Amino acid sequence: LNHFAEWLSTTFLSVYIQNHNGWVIPAIQSVHIVGIGVVLGSVFMIYFRILGWAGMDQTLRQTTTRFGPWFTGGLCLMLVTGVLMVIGEPVRELVTFSFWAKMFLIAVSTVMVIIFQTTLRKREKLWEETLINRRHIKWTATLVFLLWACIILLGRLIAYDHVWGPWSPAKKA
Amino acid sequence: MIFLALLDIDALLKSIEASALATKIRDSLFLFPLIESTHVFGLALVFGTIVVIDLRLLGIASSKRPFRRVASDIFKWTWAAFALTAFTGTLMFTTNARVYYHNVFFRTKMLLLLLTGINMLVFELTAGRMIHRWDKSPSAPPVGKAVAVLSLAMWISIICMGRIIGFTTSRETLVVQPPPGINFDDFLQATPPNSGPTSTPPPLKN
Repeated sequence: LNHFAEWLSTTFLSVYIQNHNGWVIPAIQSVHIVGIGVVLGSVFMIYFRILGWAGMDQTLRQTTTRFGPWFTGGLCLMLVTGVLMVIGEPVRELVTFSFWAKMFLIAVSTVMVIIFQTTLRKREKLWEETLINRRHIKWTATLVFLLWACIILLGRLIAYDHVWGPWSPAKKA
Repeated sequence: MIFLALLDIDALLKSIEASALATKIRDSLFLFPLIESTHVFGLALVFGTIVVIDLRLLGIASSKRPFRRVASDIFKWTWAAFALTAFTGTLMFTTNARVYYHNVFFRTKMLLLLLTGINMLVFELTAGRMIHRWDKSPSAPPVGKAVAVLSLAMWISIICMGRIIGFTTSRETLVVQPPPGINFDDFLQATPPNSGPTSTPPPLKN
């Protein structure tokens, strides 16, 4: 992985980003944060609809139709800017515990979101009338929301990977 | 007390930095990263929920729902998230108050935050006053739309400023150059006896 990170840092795009380090990296990071705002906002709105704390004049399906595309769009924006950040600073990103833990949580929560969306589409009536009132569904939604919170925390901790102590593969500065 | 602070802001900032709380955060390897991460979580929620309201004003999304319903659903959570963000932001400020205070991006960010507040006030005094007339229409009157566009632009700028602050408040200026002839490895390899509570700023990472 170290070799891959070092090779990546010699590629053209990476060298370009490194040479324009002063403003390119803060700019990409800012867009990335705007993206997470959109994603978290969308997750939040659907989560609170499931809890029954917001959007109660809308059906669950109406809520996901409203926020689903923004969730997906925000996620794509984050993927693009995230890949750019990895290309720009491969060693800083890839040789950390936080980064891989974050990727794992993103995979888990994305699978859960996809399962939720496909089952909602297939069994709309069941969801609207029964499942939404079930306690375990509300707990699962809470779990997914917390997963997104952890993803954000881990994203910031990439810059502070020393907090993981021996788990962090980063070389001591 | 406030008058005194106005007279000597640097002394006030210095005493903030020297406070027990600021020292505790600086000395800990974990606190600052944890506070900063929570700050990002809070601001993501602030921004994400404000976007929902602004897009409703512009008639781009949720336009079939009455504005007041969309706003009342969300706004209390925006404020809660804002409180979290302001709290964690203040904690970060205390650790290095003088550097932040003199940082141009920090100042711009504070100014923009103030302007978003004024922007909100303008909304309340104009479009907000005649809300019953457009509550159910798909978008707000022109002044409401202008407020929404300004709000989006300012919040995105605030995010950018916040990120640049991290890149421009390097603490190098505070580090005293070591006298020549001192080998730092001597200190790093063995724990010096009598190592009292030293307060060196943690390395600021981007």
